[in-house]
Amino acid sequence: MDEGTSARTIEMEEGNLVMAKPLILNRVLKQFGDKTAVNGISLEVEEGEIYGLLGANGAGKTTTMRMVLGVIFPDGGDISYFGKPYGPDQRHEMGYLPEERGLYPKVKVSEQIIYLAQLRGMSAREADQSLRFWLDRFEVPEYYDKRIEELSKGNQQKMGFIAAVVHKPKILILDEAFSGLDPVNVELLKANVKQLRDEGTSILFSTHRMEHVEELCRNITILHKSNSVIQGDLREIKKRYPREEVFLGTTSPVAGLEEIAGVTGVERKERGYLIRISDVADAKHILAAAMEQSEVEHFEIKEPTLNQIFIKEVGESNE
Amino acid sequence: MNKLGTVVRFSLLSKVKKKSFMITMIIIAIIVSILVNVPYLIQVFTGKDDESKSVRIGLLYDTQPQIAETFKQASQQLPNAGYTLIDYKQKTDSGVLQQDIDQDKIDGYLQFGEEQKGGFPDVTYISKSGSDLEGSLQATIQSALQNVKMRIIAGGSLSNEQLGEMGVPVQLNEQKAGSADSGSKKDNSIESNLANYIYVYVLIILFLMINTMTGSMIASEVTSEKSSRIMEILITSVSPLTQMFGKIIAMFLLGLMQIAFLTLIVVGNVAMPHNRQAITEMGVDLSQISLDVFLFGLLLYVLGYFLYATLFAAIGSLVSRTEELGQAIMPITLLLMISFYVGMFSMGTPNAILIKITSFIPFTSPISMLVRIGIGDVAAWEIAVSLAILLVSIVFFGWLSAKIYRTGVLMYGKRPSLRELGKAMRAYKM
Repeated sequence: MDEGTSARTIEMEEGNLVMAKPLILNRVLKQFGDKTAVNGISLEVEEGEIYGLLGANGAGKTTTMRMVLGVIFPDGGDISYFGKPYGPDQRHEMGYLPEERGLYPKVKVSEQIIYLAQLRGMSAREADQSLRFWLDRFEVPEYYDKRIEELSKGNQQKMGFIAAVVHKPKILILDEAFSGLDPVNVELLKANVKQLRDEGTSILFSTHRMEHVEELCRNITILHKSNSVIQGDLREIKKRYPREEVFLGTTSPVAGLEEIAGVTGVERKERGYLIRISDVADAKHILAAAMEQSEVEHFEIKEPTLNQIFIKEVGESNE
Repeated sequence: MNKLGTVVRFSLLSKVKKKSFMITMIIIAIIVSILVNVPYLIQVFTGKDDESKSVRIGLLYDTQPQIAETFKQASQQLPNAGYTLIDYKQKTDSGVLQQDIDQDKIDGYLQFGEEQKGGFPDVTYISKSGSDLEGSLQATIQSALQNVKMRIIAGGSLSNEQLGEMGVPVQLNEQKAGSADSGSKKDNSIESNLANYIYVYVLIILFLMINTMTGSMIASEVTSEKSSRIMEILITSVSPLTQMFGKIIAMFLLGLMQIAFLTLIVVGNVAMPHNRQAITEMGVDLSQISLDVFLFGLLLYVLGYFLYATLFAAIGSLVSRTEELGQAIMPITLLLMISFYVGMFSMGTPNAILIKITSFIPFTSPISMLVRIGIGDVAAWEIAVSLAILLVSIVFFGWLSAKIYRTGVLMYGKRPSLRELGKAMRAYKM
């Protein structure tokens, strides 16, 4: 029995006590002609969770998102939203911020955002209130009557974000949401995404920026060539990867680090050394050697960054 | 929640509220008003009743004094001849006349040649440039001379009434076989033909213009939504079908508004007394214009609109950049133009086989059928069959366009070939 039906079964058996998960993809498959774009991906997004969807260009992220959005239908597997299959009601529960967010350049902010909210099942009055709330939250209430083409790029993107969340979606899909933004606006949008998460919105988040994923996401899926290569809790994933870097900060220079058994490389940094090792057990030899020669200010066995994991997984199998 | 209504309202309002739309409508209103006033303006500028404008013609008596005298009498009987004769009884020297032309005393003179075997001499009009006579004046003089010829040949054996009767040309009327005594409403006299002709012509141009305008608006709207990437948000909010038909209906309402607006302007202008008179004097009998033709025209326009509009939407959905749109919609505009020209060139022969065929082909039938209903002979069953074919094609092409649209809006990059489109349509399962 697939997970989609099981979620529904739970709901039926225990009434409303157990809510079906907001978004479940079960072995979703999509082929374009003889090319497989998405090859049997399964994932679950909980309420109040930001789920990271990673992958190089052309890995199948956008196709996956489009299937979630109901724009194209999967060739196999199924997608359920709060235990139900896709339908017009599901469309109302979703918000979408595409990579190249677009709005009508020559139409007033208020007119087009209220229009978009109405298309997603909101009344004009509710939409107007919600829009004013969000404009106030971004501290730009004066944009209500402005045309999109009059705004700077950063502000256009804020309007795009508002357009995606104005109808209070339960499932929010962000495709490269922060690309092309300056750091101030990235922080602002990130804060709002976190706030939405804390309010219970389930967010499917795709990006190339690994530091955003590390900051925001609990669970991730890395797609590579249409397949899911790594999936699960981000911390668990990191633990699975050997720690192969040591940072050593000392008051005076340390010689002979390269000769220590197990060391594969030493890189001199401004405030110390970055040492690559083949086995974590060898780290103590480094510390011992360093303490003999100098006073140690800083010693850390570093966790692999998501960036390193990504490059390792996606880069290696790239040949 | 009526989403179709929301799409229609938004698309319509965002067009109507634009300044450029208002300005276009005002400019069109002015142009149309001027066009309707053209007959009156021509009258004002040519000033037919103005005595001083009448052409002064010298009349020589030297070679044919009798003809000259009779011509003078005949001319005096004409109420508005448009020319005055100046006698040159004494002066027979053409040099004198030449001098008078140079001094602008006369505009030209008539010279009668030697008598020929048939009895009537050649007549020559001599003027400054040699081609000063207006067409209408030439005709008047010619018929006056004709009259003179008759008088001379009759040699006084006929009364003036009889002579006048002889001058009236014979009228040849056409009538459809079998409708001889039913007092058929199709009176094919020249006057009613002219009125209907102009009427149908105006309707065809109006429908072509509005159809092209609204059609390309739909296409460019779809393309700009695609190129500004708002399409991605739209297709995830509302089904592409709702979106496409919402837009088509919105532009349809816009077209109807334009038609109503232009009709009001034309009717208002024609109803003004000075225009009424001028148009009647041109030989156009306004009472011949029937509302039926307008209503049929409107019905055909509506059907034709939906047939073309779905195609315009489909093409718009395939193009990613606005710059490529003009080229992409070319086949459809070409189709529109062909149907227009077939209709127009067939107006002289509204019962020819060509227009009979095209009035049953879906893309040409809206205009061809209108021509046939307006100025040709058409049976009720023919209209019914043509409309039925049109309706079926609308359903078919609407369905096809919807499929193309649903696929097209997701395809970015270069314009897909037919094969790529077919592949994508299968892949998207639409």
